[in-house]
Amino acid sequence: MSAEKQTTLSEAAALVRDGDTVAIQNMATQAAPMALVRELIRQGRKELGVVCLVGGIPVDWLAAAGAMNRLIGAAVSMEQFGLCQRYRKAVEAGAIRVEELSETALNARLGAGARNLPFLPTRGLIGTDLIDVNDNLVMLDDPFGGPSVVACKALVPDVALVHAHKADRFGNIGCEPTALWPDLGIMPKAATTVIVTAEEIVDSEVLRANPDRTVLPGFMVDAVVEVPYGAHPTSFFPRYGYDTAVHLEWVGAARDDEAVAAFMEKYVTGPADHNAYLETVGGAERQAALEAWEQT
Amino acid sequence: MSDWQNSPPADDWTIDELMIARLAACFADGDQACNGMASFVPVSAFWLARLTHAPHLVWLAGAVGLEPRPDRVPASTLEAPLWRDSIMYVEQFGDFWNFALNGRWLTKFCVGAAQLDRYGNGNNSVIGADYHNPRVRLPGTAGLGDMGSIGKALYYWNPNHNPRSLVERVDFISCAGYLGGGSERADAGLDGGPELVITNLCVLDFHPETRHMRVASLHPGVTFEQVQEATGFELPAPEGKLPTTPVPTSEQVRLIRDVIDPDNMRRREFGR
Repeated sequence: MSAEKQTTLSEAAALVRDGDTVAIQNMATQAAPMALVRELIRQGRKELGVVCLVGGIPVDWLAAAGAMNRLIGAAVSMEQFGLCQRYRKAVEAGAIRVEELSETALNARLGAGARNLPFLPTRGLIGTDLIDVNDNLVMLDDPFGGPSVVACKALVPDVALVHAHKADRFGNIGCEPTALWPDLGIMPKAATTVIVTAEEIVDSEVLRANPDRTVLPGFMVDAVVEVPYGAHPTSFFPRYGYDTAVHLEWVGAARDDEAVAAFMEKYVTGPADHNAYLETVGGAERQAALEAWEQT
Repeated sequence: MSDWQNSPPADDWTIDELMIARLAACFADGDQACNGMASFVPVSAFWLARLTHAPHLVWLAGAVGLEPRPDRVPASTLEAPLWRDSIMYVEQFGDFWNFALNGRWLTKFCVGAAQLDRYGNGNNSVIGADYHNPRVRLPGTAGLGDMGSIGKALYYWNPNHNPRSLVERVDFISCAGYLGGGSERADAGLDGGPELVITNLCVLDFHPETRHMRVASLHPGVTFEQVQEATGFELPAPEGKLPTTPVPTSEQVRLIRDVIDPDNMRRREFGR
């Protein structure tokens, strides 16, 4: 029998240390492990490096809290809600250093990390200026005589944070039919420590009924926490859509220091726990509206 | 199937509809197309093509949902309502790039960029001379840094043609176009490259030898001088009279307004 991995949000977040490089599941307004991100901010984590494909509101909140000083990713945007203004301001002030990668280059860096290789190549980025400003990307002759490629140095994040639909208490992770982002495809496989929040902790028999839907094995997972609505205010299909109201309130606050402080107090540092947070953002009534995303 | 072939030119078309119809014409039956974030014009164009001349245009919505059946263009082009009812979910880091990097599929790609220069290089990274100390931090290259370098035909769309978005030289190349012009792109070992730039004023293409951007057609009522005024670099003087961009037909306009995008999401891209 495997070891039990189930724990609390605060104990799981305590596995992340100041200065760690943390891979965060997120695609603009989708699927971010937001409860963990809020907990890291509440615990006062500093100098984090964030790895993401397209980072949205979690990156902006970490930037607003002064919790991060570097980003490795392909883009940072909240799509229809615009650029992440606190992140942008911190980068322009020199407080966050950005290693910008194309999607295939990020995939190659994480893939090499997962497979214990020094690097993997890509054909993306050739001709761009992104290679010149990044020591982790080097043009390489093809040993077989073909065109040159870009060697992308292995990236092993200290921690990967992911949110999932279902998990058992041993850390086996199951997903419902949905789009799969790199977060599950490669980030946890490259990272040293993997922390998963799940909408629900289920009996292992539930996962055994559909083993094709198990996407991460328990041996790879270090901590699992039951956190319903753990991706809010980002979407987590097929269960719920993104919360437009919270995104708009953040966008309205993000350019003003005092408004940002008030927002962070109200939604991030103020609520005593995740349940208190869910009440703050509208409770059961709001949840029912977000679950009806297919009718919108 | 609508009677799009016998439909007369619309008399009440708007600029968003003209751009969508022009971009739709770039996609042929049997092509594959995908869209990224905040891509209302490309999404509407793919959909319009599928309803008219290219019913077998394969659409990979958000690079995720194959052959989706959304009921209208939603507020996000990168959320599940767009890929409702898909026949397959494509895993982003595995399958999507396996399809895109293989030269056989997804041979055309639509690019939106904050800056675009005379040789078709795009910038979504930074404004300012020093990458590490930017004046403005832009969202980042995302998939553009790949799509510009892997042999795709690139179709830029720009709903806000002005001297800040069409510049002499991008501050930073985050999507490879024709680099310094001439044979530089080919010399770097890159196939494909920018084909067209569709803006709210005109359609531009690239001279086959110099690779310099030039006006290919003017939208109705727009003069070359107006385009030059709105462009941050000197455009080659036209040889003879420039063609006029075809206006959408009344059936194309009906499909865009009533079927594809009744909530007018496409207009969010204009007037920035």
